[in-house]
Amino acid sequence: MSALDLAIDPSFIAFLAIAVMAILSSLLVVEHKSLVYSAFFLGVLGMANAALFALLGFTFIALFHVAVYIGAAVTFILFSITMFEEAPSIERPFRVVAGFTVLLTFLFLAVIFGIYLGKPLQPSYVDYRELARLLTQNYWFALIVAALTLVTTLIEAITLARREVK
Amino acid sequence: MELALLFLSLSAAMFGIGLYGLISKRNMLRMLLSAEVNFNAAMLALLTLASSSSSPATGGVIALLAIGIAAADIGIMVSIAILMFQLKRRLDVYELRKFRG
Repeated sequence: MSALDLAIDPSFIAFLAIAVMAILSSLLVVEHKSLVYSAFFLGVLGMANAALFALLGFTFIALFHVAVYIGAAVTFILFSITMFEEAPSIERPFRVVAGFTVLLTFLFLAVIFGIYLGKPLQPSYVDYRELARLLTQNYWFALIVAALTLVTTLIEAITLARREVK
Repeated sequence: MELALLFLSLSAAMFGIGLYGLISKRNMLRMLLSAEVNFNAAMLALLTLASSSSSPATGGVIALLAIGIAAADIGIMVSIAILMFQLKRRLDVYELRKFRG
């Protein structure tokens, strides 16, 4: 596929728009002065990510991401943050070290992901029956562990939050 | 659609932004939010690689479990932050050293 064909490909244009949204919201999550807005932009990032999952062909995972991750987790963070007073942000004196680490990580990932240069990406059709079969037959133990983890976490979170402070 | 590398580059960029926030901030909730950016980047890389593999459904199963566990770990981290704020009235991670024992 030529560069011109790629430029007028609707899914490629959608990818570019969503990618810009994802990068901008990631930056705002990290750098926005208000924690409430940071949590809000984490929700926007989650939506952008879900759209990217759908572009890759994983529509069920995209819906699950919106329902569980944004609907429960991000909303939980957002409402919890309203319980805290807005404190002035404290920064470590590590900005240069952080920038250098990020550069090294990016180079490392570029080397690893470099093998995918020019490799075609076919949006895959995931059969839900196959997904359910894998989950209940091949990965049943992981499913039980995940369910137990969620229950334990729920109890632990309530216990920690209701603990009497002396 | 071509070029899996575009998705992977986006994932790497998001991971870099999250890592920067994780290293340079001291506010516990800000670090949690930065770690969540990293989680989103990792999920994107996982599903892109799963999409290029011969068995995408296996990647989908791992993604489903990962999203569930991520929701659980957010619950724990926010509860610890609430407890810390009740005790210290601050969210500075340097104060966590005093929680030992």
